[in-house]
Amino acid sequence: MKRPAVRTPRPWLFPEPRHGTLPNGLNVLIFDRPGQYVISAGLVVDLPLTAEPSDREGVATLTMRCLDEGTRTHPGTRFSEVLEDAGAAMAGSVGHSASELYLDVPAHRLGSALELMAQALIEPALETEDVDRHRSLRLAQIEQTMAHPAQRVGLAFREAVLESGYRAARPAGGTAATVARVSADDVRSFHAQHYSPANSVLVLAGDFTDDPFDQAEATFGRWRSPENPTVHETPRPAPATCLLIDRPDAVQADVRLGGFGIDRTDPRWADVQVASYALGGAFLSRLNRVLREERGYTYGVQLVNQPMRSGGLLTVAGSFRTEVAGAAISEAVRILDLERTPITENEVADAVNYAVGVTPLRYATAAGITEQVTTLIGAGLSSRYVDSHTAALGLVTPGSATRALRQVLDPTRMSLLVVGSAKALEGPLRDAGWAVRVQTDAAAT
Amino acid sequence: MWFDGAVTSTVGILGYPLHRHTLTNGLRVIVSPDHSAPVVALNLWYDVGSRDELLGQTGLAHLFEHLMFQGSANVASGEHLATLQANGGSVNATTWFDRTNYFAAMPTGALNLALWLEADRLATLPQALTVENLDNQREVVKEEKRQRYDNVPYGDVIEHLVALTFPAQHPYGHTTIGSMADLDAASVQDAISFFTRHYLPGNAVLTLVGDIEPADAFARVQKYFGKIPAGNRSQRASVTPLPPHTGVPRARTAAPVPADACYFTWRLPVRDTQDFNALDLTFSILGDGQTSRLHRRLVREDKIAQAASSSALALIGGNSFGFAYARAMPGTTVADLEYAMVSEIDRLVHDGPQPAEIERAKAQYEREWLSELSRFDARADQFGAYATLHGDPQLVNTRIADITAITGDDIVAACGRWLRSEQRAVLSYERTNR
Repeated sequence: MKRPAVRTPRPWLFPEPRHGTLPNGLNVLIFDRPGQYVISAGLVVDLPLTAEPSDREGVATLTMRCLDEGTRTHPGTRFSEVLEDAGAAMAGSVGHSASELYLDVPAHRLGSALELMAQALIEPALETEDVDRHRSLRLAQIEQTMAHPAQRVGLAFREAVLESGYRAARPAGGTAATVARVSADDVRSFHAQHYSPANSVLVLAGDFTDDPFDQAEATFGRWRSPENPTVHETPRPAPATCLLIDRPDAVQADVRLGGFGIDRTDPRWADVQVASYALGGAFLSRLNRVLREERGYTYGVQLVNQPMRSGGLLTVAGSFRTEVAGAAISEAVRILDLERTPITENEVADAVNYAVGVTPLRYATAAGITEQVTTLIGAGLSSRYVDSHTAALGLVTPGSATRALRQVLDPTRMSLLVVGSAKALEGPLRDAGWAVRVQTDAAAT
Repeated sequence: MWFDGAVTSTVGILGYPLHRHTLTNGLRVIVSPDHSAPVVALNLWYDVGSRDELLGQTGLAHLFEHLMFQGSANVASGEHLATLQANGGSVNATTWFDRTNYFAAMPTGALNLALWLEADRLATLPQALTVENLDNQREVVKEEKRQRYDNVPYGDVIEHLVALTFPAQHPYGHTTIGSMADLDAASVQDAISFFTRHYLPGNAVLTLVGDIEPADAFARVQKYFGKIPAGNRSQRASVTPLPPHTGVPRARTAAPVPADACYFTWRLPVRDTQDFNALDLTFSILGDGQTSRLHRRLVREDKIAQAASSSALALIGGNSFGFAYARAMPGTTVADLEYAMVSEIDRLVHDGPQPAEIERAKAQYEREWLSELSRFDARADQFGAYATLHGDPQLVNTRIADITAITGDDIVAACGRWLRSEQRAVLSYERTNR
């Protein structure tokens, strides 16, 4: 039977929100999504982590983690009981430029759950005992992170590629040394100073049974806290480096290869998205085709184009069995060199069709919309970005994609970070021309 | 619009539309229209999982899933995934104890292409199966095993728990990823035999959720799948349910992990029975969320654990599994964790849960189930699961009502039969690099 032709998808636009501002300055965005019976709420606070005292990094994370450990109205575990009784779930996330609190709840219970979310933001108890416990838990979590090779190498890459001194070079949740110093007083004053309605946006998406503006006003309207002016840093790249972190018993090498990238506001963003997809996003991308489907060196390898609010990280990410890791890295370097093999017409078409085609599904759920909109707001953008990015993708050419990628990622000046067996890997990396430094560290074993 | 009435916690019956049709070759087709986005989710549940593997062939079902992307008579290696992606589709597949599911979601205009690709590999896969493809994917799967199980802290826990809970020759007595030795031993002939035995229209459920009408959908499926021969579907041997553990079986392992951990397992009844539903709520009360008993006791009050939780893993072949686990804070021993876990389990089993805890667990279940179904792809997967394992996709719509109907007495009775602390098995996971 003949292979069927594909009909061009009908154009799709990101939904327009209804927008309102409460008298206290809190902006509210409502996305009406019929058929989405679980409402997704997200509150994003404009909160660069440069606001943390430098010897108390992690205070933003501990603040977020303690928000649901009791409020003045519902002290102690009573708060999580009433939240869970409402069939709701809350989750927090702290990034380098914004903090986000999310709530999921069936529509018919939105009113009571939104009240609890507001309480957590406006009047959290932040008891000393809870902060102390969360500090211990965060320290234990750091140990787990350092023992996990993929997480470890991700942190090491960030630290290596961004010029030291920038907050973005260090983990959002702080390090063991700084977290250990965070006190309950630090958490309480951080909350008082940085959580404010005028610095925040509330996003609500779903199939509403009552007017969500009224519900937002009834719950968040009482939030009083002065606006806090914020300044965001603009990180710079560090010189290229090569670091091998020893994990003697490892059977694979976890690899990050690349450098400092760009953010969504860069005019080359769509070009780099297309080129990254062709090189390491598609299943049959140049990297995955060779390293997985031809050589069988890996379960999968990607070129990840990760934007920050300013600048970004452009990274080949994969893990390879130790015996072939050196060969895999050399092959990846060769593949990233576009001088003789520019991005093709077909690769651009496939990348654009993929990016445009998956968009409606990605935003078909309430949670999909809320998470995207809060992420964009945290990056200093708005939901209009989605459609403007789609339009920008339509203008990408093989020439523009090739040029942009070559400008952003020079294959002769990339950083290489590896977590794996130093004994087995140091020789092959030196032979391949890497000026490798070896770091031995008990936490990595 | 998509529900017959509003979703309420009192009735709890959802109204996702369901249209069913069976082709003459036995392929069961489910269509659930939803025009809220211009996309369709396609899902194929094949009624084959790691429970169907023979001894010495562990990992074959999953390795075979990889081979399904290596081309068929009219499709080149890797092309199935690549061509759907190039048309705005997202594609993947998973293998588990009870299933192998293949799924894609794409703009409606690419649905015929997706159906054609699925039909081509079901009709002709062995024609494209080569030793080169097998060798390549064998290496890829071994890398997957290293990445997900062998090279990460606690990655081998599932292997230990399976071995502790079921005898080696039991269908659930080995993991889905299988052993390196068995993967190395797999031949092209093994793969073709596996395909011939399990990849038959009558052994599959095809579900479409999204921007399509039933009559149109059935006609398209007929066009692409209608001529595939039925083949001979073999009957799976029935599995006698195993009784709960006795004598607290124990296993111990040590590895360079950051903290000690303690794991319990129980043998449970099969999924979606009254006892299983009652135990599912019990595991939520015991170990899901900040209000759960294990979190309160071990993390919040005693401060001996970094994390503590429990859950039920729903299976269809004779038994399901239940788990509880806690990971130690510095200075805490596995014995401390075990003592606290046992005392919480005993208290719950002997006194029963509070009515408020039951209502809370039901409210949480409702949100989780509705969230799951809010996605086209997840909704299609659940219809496929219920049609395959229970013969009735309508159970997706009545699931919340079935959970809501569970009473405190049901929970007490089920706990007494299945969840007593002396019915557990214990895995001590200790760190070596002190």
